Amino acid sequence: MYRSIILFVAFCILGGHISAHQFTPTYPVLEQAPIPGVKVLNMSIFNNRKEIAWYSINVYDKDWNNLAFASTDKLINLNYLERKNIEVYVRTIDSNKVVYICSKSKTLASVKNPSIITSRICSKVKNEVFNINSSLSGVWDSLGRFKLYES
Amino acid sequence: MKKSLILLAALPCVALANVPIMGTVESKCVIQTDTSGVYGNPSPSELSTDSTDGGVKPIIRYDILAADHYKAVISYPNSFSSSPVLADVVNWTGDVTVGQTSDAGMSAFESGKIEYNNTVEFDLTIAGSVWFDVASTADYGYDKSFPAGDYTAMVTAECIAQ
Repeated sequence: MYRSIILFVAFCILGGHISAHQFTPTYPVLEQAPIPGVKVLNMSIFNNRKEIAWYSINVYDKDWNNLAFASTDKLINLNYLERKNIEVYVRTIDSNKVVYICSKSKTLASVKNPSIITSRICSKVKNEVFNINSSLSGVWDSLGRFKLYES
Repeated sequence: MKKSLILLAALPCVALANVPIMGTVESKCVIQTDTSGVYGNPSPSELSTDSTDGGVKPIIRYDILAADHYKAVISYPNSFSSSPVLADVVNWTGDVTVGQTSDAGMSAFESGKIEYNNTVEFDLTIAGSVWFDVASTADYGYDKSFPAGDYTAMVTAECIAQ
């Protein structure tokens, strides 16, 4: 009985503290958008940082190069304890390159704290097709090399 | 007869027993600002977050809800985001160390950290909470005095999905 109460209290304490800048899901999946030639990622952002009200979104490839994307909110105004669902659109031709999608807190120039903490959370698109294509291209490369040696 | 009546009476209750299951997908890595840093000014040419220099180290807490999904990437400042006009070079040094932990095994984060430029990476291989202490020092020119004014520098804390 006491054990359950302790567990419940511990859960409440931990649960109550799981709060800050959150960006979910961890591993989003690219889906076909209603517009042809465009894919979409559905993300959710939650702000529990009192001192922050703005977040930016960025999309990167595996080498952290910026990729072109469109979103309803590229710079998001999020009040304290507010959650927002965002849709990030990328071109289908770029969809195999998309690896990281990140949200980063933005601080206003008027903030005069001597040390500001910027938080950035990046989710990863586990692009299986891309990996298979890479492996296949590796196989084709080896086959090509084989043919080259053969001739 | 009575049995049938009881069963009949129980039917609507069964029909109404719809229990909704609600849930929100929580982030598996949560960054929380525990302490905002303050620069102390131990000498005219130096700004430091060290407590012996009158400063306060920024402390960032990471809540790891599931192990092995994220890595923590923390960068200490290498420039001021706002300051008075500075005519000379500022030399930056800093460090990120594992502070308090909710699990004794998390001390391994410190030995396994990867450092490059002004950035330190930690593999978040154990679930729980970990506090990272960030140290930062700025030296101005060759024993030059920092001009009077407000100085702001930025610490970047990141969770990168693996």
